[in-house]
Formats: sequence, structure tokens, C-alpha cells
Amino acid sequence: MRLEPLPNPSPLRSVGVTLLALGLAFALVGGVFWAYGLGPLEAYRTMLEGTLLDPRGWQEVLRRTIPLLLIGVGLSLAFRTQFYNIGAEGQLLLGAVLAAGVALFLPLPPALSLPAMALAAALGGALWCGLAAWLKNRLSVNEILTTLMLNYVAQSLVIYLINGPWRGKDVRGYIYSDRFAEHQQLPVLLGTNVHWPTLALGVVLALLLQLLLFRSTLGFRLRVVGENPGAARYLGIPQSRAFLVVALITGGTAGLAGFGEIAGIHHRLIEPTQLSSGYGFTAIIVAWLARGHPALVLLTAPLMGLILAGGDVLKVALNMPFRIVDVFSGVMLFALIGSELFLHYRLRLR
Amino acid sequence: MKTRLLALVAAIGLGFGLAQQANLKACFIYVGPIGDVGWTYAHDEARRAAEKAIPGLTTQYVESVKPADTLATVDRLVAGGCNVIFTTSFDFMDQTLEAAKKYPNVIFAHASGFKRAPNMLTYMADFYQIYYLNGLMAGALTKSGKVGYVAAFPIPELKRHISAFALGVRAVNPRATVNVKWINAWYDPVKAREATEALIAEGNDIVAFTEDTATVIQTAARRRVPSFSHYNSMYKYAPDYVVSGQLVDWSVIYIDILKKVQNGTYTPKNLENVDYWWLARERAVMLGAQVGMPINPKFEPALKQATMVVNGKRVSVYDRVMELYKDIQSPNPKWDPFTGPIRDRNGVLRVPAGRKMTVKELNEMQWVAPGVVGPVPDEPK
Repeated sequence: MRLEPLPNPSPLRSVGVTLLALGLAFALVGGVFWAYGLGPLEAYRTMLEGTLLDPRGWQEVLRRTIPLLLIGVGLSLAFRTQFYNIGAEGQLLLGAVLAAGVALFLPLPPALSLPAMALAAALGGALWCGLAAWLKNRLSVNEILTTLMLNYVAQSLVIYLINGPWRGKDVRGYIYSDRFAEHQQLPVLLGTNVHWPTLALGVVLALLLQLLLFRSTLGFRLRVVGENPGAARYLGIPQSRAFLVVALITGGTAGLAGFGEIAGIHHRLIEPTQLSSGYGFTAIIVAWLARGHPALVLLTAPLMGLILAGGDVLKVALNMPFRIVDVFSGVMLFALIGSELFLHYRLRLR
Repeated sequence: MKTRLLALVAAIGLGFGLAQQANLKACFIYVGPIGDVGWTYAHDEARRAAEKAIPGLTTQYVESVKPADTLATVDRLVAGGCNVIFTTSFDFMDQTLEAAKKYPNVIFAHASGFKRAPNMLTYMADFYQIYYLNGLMAGALTKSGKVGYVAAFPIPELKRHISAFALGVRAVNPRATVNVKWINAWYDPVKAREATEALIAEGNDIVAFTEDTATVIQTAARRRVPSFSHYNSMYKYAPDYVVSGQLVDWSVIYIDILKKVQNGTYTPKNLENVDYWWLARERAVMLGAQVGMPINPKFEPALKQATMVVNGKRVSVYDRVMELYKDIQSPNPKWDPFTGPIRDRNGVLRVPAGRKMTVKELNEMQWVAPGVVGPVPDEPK
């Protein structure tokens, strides 16, 4: 048995390998269910019934899809360019911070405040990620490390703000900011938590970035930098410029996700762990699954949203431990990254 | 004729009511995992005890619910047939009120909050008296005069507990300090460990805490530093180092509430003023390293040897703890740690002589007692 490199894997192979990896992940998690004393099929059925076959379930899936979609489209672009941004969580938080800052302290006409909050959020996320790109370009600091570390800085910044200068007036010792005014809250689908403007924004961004990547000169340059840095240098494409551009885009979309979470759901700046539920990390799987196609995130984000919402159903309906969702995402990422090998190599039996 | 008809209607109505209550389903929304060995674990133990104690009661729980997900969780629970929903964290307060408005026929019970509605009551098993007793012991056992305290959030509950603890420490050792580190989390073993290690490194030779894990006890024991059990029997994690502690038994409250729902005393219309504030007298809280062990025998000699002055007389700390513990368990306790005169740590008189703090004042307490060292957010100047 040996591995044979494939110079040009077909798109079909990529789809097949991804589906197989997903199938393997579902089978492995099924094994976990079984070990827990649940029939895997029964567990999966419960998950689907509580999400897709239930109107309340749909709204939960959508609510979780929104941040994953926004972050995922940016990350898929970044991963394509081989800029490994692991800091979407921090960029989301920075977006939330700037959006909250605008909402709490900038007196604006009501019609302008939501757009201004969104803009500030995108800017916050972009700058946070841009910092990592700058460090990479200037000092060759690995962006995996800096983006990851900046997550913690962002968390501490949020805690400092809501614990100190931005602390609300009637919070009784808890740490969060004052509540936003009505006109600073995103409209939601009636009776749900689905802030639809952000969802629409995510869909538009997915399509726009897909166009950018495959139908524009800039996109071509980004792809060359990602696929063959040597060729990019030979062609005179500045690598550092490409990194900065993707960093600003991926950070910006993550910042927008932060805007959606606080203007759509929480309506105040709250503790980092409550604010985001780890969307910045879960979106890494979303982006990886999309294999560098921002438009495909339109499929992979709802899939992960389904798993997050389905995990909640398992928690409520079958009293499974809350870590089940983490097991799910962990096994999935493991299978996906493990499958990468079979994308570029063929297994030959002799 | 008319009255008889009315009676008939009433009887049918009552019959329906009873039939409904016969299959009582109580659901619990927890803020942490049931395996936290702290707060959530204690609530879950009580849930199971209530299920055993009340015939016809079924229960369900959801663990580690984020406040933002509360409403969605309530939606699912109500759809699953819950008539009574307990939300067991202060963090759920506003969302519980919102849910109570959305489902006016479901009874909601919110732990440790202060907002109520016709179908939403509040309940709390409070430790402040017990904390004072633990403070006495900490004051007697510290050699460096520095007592460490790992605290979750600077909310009134914690300020009350830390202050009661500090009053106890200072009653024995007037120069001792209680050094507080906030970790801003109920469940975060990593932060709790870091805070404990920092406190010990700064010279604190005994530690207490208010957060939902046993981390402080385990970390302190590794450094041979004594500590106090919190919420549940944590004696087993460090039998040589757990001095005493504060233990809770939520089941007495849950059983009382659910029985009154079952027999019709509580309806979704009359809970506006129902607030449980249960202490040692109701057996909702206990003193102990574990249930049935108020003081770890390993520390008894030292506590019997240590003395303090009470009303001009010298008594052993051990006797004083036992005397006060007996008093607060009696039907009419005479003693309370927050009896005036009490000044806050900035010297402002907070409780005038001869007066006790009311439950409302305790619930809204923002100041801290003398001896507490470290930044305290929202402290009145």
C-alpha cells in the first residue's frame, strides 16, 4: 500500500472526500452516542426533529447560522490565501466593542445609528486582524500565533470595559453595559431571535467575495499567493499586500458578526464567553468545509448551525452533557483535516 | 339552584385543577454543568430529592444554558409540558421575567433575583450567617494574618458573604485582612486556580471562595493551605485541609414550593410577593466540611485553643462557633452578623447601633466590611 500524489485533484474528488470525512465524523459521533447508551439513529432523529421539523428549531438554526456565515465567508477567503486567521473570536469581540461604543456614546440620528454601528464593528474587526497581518509582514511573526493570542487580549479588553468605564448603571455588581435604545437594536423575524438584516448581509457578502475571488484581478492575485507563493513572487505580486487585504476582509466580516450578536440578540455589551458562544472557532470548521469557496459557506454555515442547535436539542430532550456539541465539532474538524491527505494523494494497493 | 350550579361549576373547575396538578412537571434551567460539584450540582441533587419526595412529580433539566439562550430553552420546555420552571441563576433574571410574560399559565421560580410577577416567585438559600462562622475559624487559624478569598462576581450576594466572612475574621483577629480576587466567572477552573495560586504566593495562608468548582480547595491543598468547602461536601477532595464550610440543601425549598403548587396554594396568579429567604433556621443551609461534620476534627484542637473576646469574656473560638450555630438553627435566632453598629471599610456608618440589616438591604448591599482588601467595583464612597 502506498500513497501516490495527485497533481490536479478534480473538484469531484474534493466533494467526495469532504462528504466521506463528514460521514466518518457522523459515524464516530454515533459511536459516542452509542457508548453513552443512546441509539445513534434515535439521537440523530431527535436532532433533526427538534431542528428541521420544528419551526422553533428553524429559528435556532438560523440564529446560529448568522455569525458562522459572516465569519465563515471571511475565513474561507483567508484560508485560501494561506493566511491562517484563528482569531475570528477576538475580531468578533472587537466588532462588538466598537458597535457598543457607537451605540452607547455617539449621539446619532436614529436612522444612522445601526449603519454606523455596523461600520464601526467591521472596522474594529478589520483593524484587530490587520494588526496580525502587519506583524506578519513587518516582523514575520506567524499569524496563527498572533491572531490566537489577540483573542485573549480582546476578551480582557471587553471585561475591562464592562467592569470599568462602560459598566451599566443598574447592574447590581454584574458586569455588563447599559442596554441599547430601541433604534439601536436590529429588527428580528417576528417572535424569534433571528436578526435578518445580518443574515441578508451574510448572504450578499458570500456571493460578493466569491465574485471577488474568482472574477477579479485582486482575487486572482490572492489565489496565486495562496496556491503558489513562489510563483506570486515571480509574477511580482506583493505577498504582504495580499495578506493585509485578506486580513482586513476576514477581520471585518468577523466584526460584523459581533455587531449582529450584540445589536440583534444581547442589546448590550456583555461578558465575552456569553457574547459569542465560540462562533469564531466553530467558523473555522465552516470555512474549512467550504474548501476556499466563500459561496459554499452558504451551505456549510447552516450545517454547523444545525449541529449547534441540534446539540441544544440533545441537551434538552435527552439530557446529554452540554459538551456533546464540542465533541461534535472536534470530531468533525479532526476528520476534515485528516481527509486533507486524500485530497492530494491517492491510495494505491499493490 | 343558582348557588348549587355555581358550586358544581366550581367543583368541576377544581377537579380540572387537581387533575392538572396530578401530573406536575418541574423543569430546571442550570447555568453550569451538573458536574460542577458546586452550585448547579447542588440544585440537581435537590431536584432528584424533590422527585423522590413528591409523588406524581416528574422533572427535567437543561445544563449550561447561556442567558441569551434562556427563552429558546423555556420554549422547548413548555412545549414539553413543564408547569413549573426553575431558573437557577441570577443571570437568568430578565429572561425569566420575559418568559413569565410570554407564558402566563406556567409558574416560574427564579433563584437569587429580585424581580417577581404574578406567575414568578423568587427564592434563595443564603449563607451569610454561615460565612461569619467560617470567618471566625479563618481568623483563628491564620498565622500570617492574611486570608485569601476567590470570588466570582462583585454582586451584592458576594459582597454580603465576603463582608460577613471578614467580620468573622476580624472578630477573632482585629488586624487580619481578607484579600479578594475576582475571577468574573461562576465556572472557570483555570481562573480559579490562577487566583488561588496568586493569593497563596502573596502570603495568604488560608483561603475561602465563592464560585462553583472545587478548584480552590484542590489547589490550596497541594500547597498545604487550609480552605473552606462551598455549596457541597468538598471534604473528600482534601480531608486534611478542609476546615469547615457552607453547605446548601435546596431540596427543602423545592419540596415546599412544589407541594404548594400541587395543593393549589401557589397558582400562576398569586406569586407577586412570594420570596423565599431561607437560612440555617429552615435547614436550607448548614455549616460543615461535609454534611454531618460542622468542623473537621483535624482542626478542632487548634480552634479550641484559639480564643476571642465576646462581651468582655474570653471564650474559645470553637465554642463561639458552636454557640452561634446553635442559635441560628433555633426557631427564633437572637444573633445576626449584620447587627449594628457596622461601618464599611471607608468608615461610613452603614448599620446603626441596635439595628439588623433587612433582607432588602442585604440583597442590595454594595459596601464591604473593614478588613476586605482589593478593588471592589460599585463600592459607594
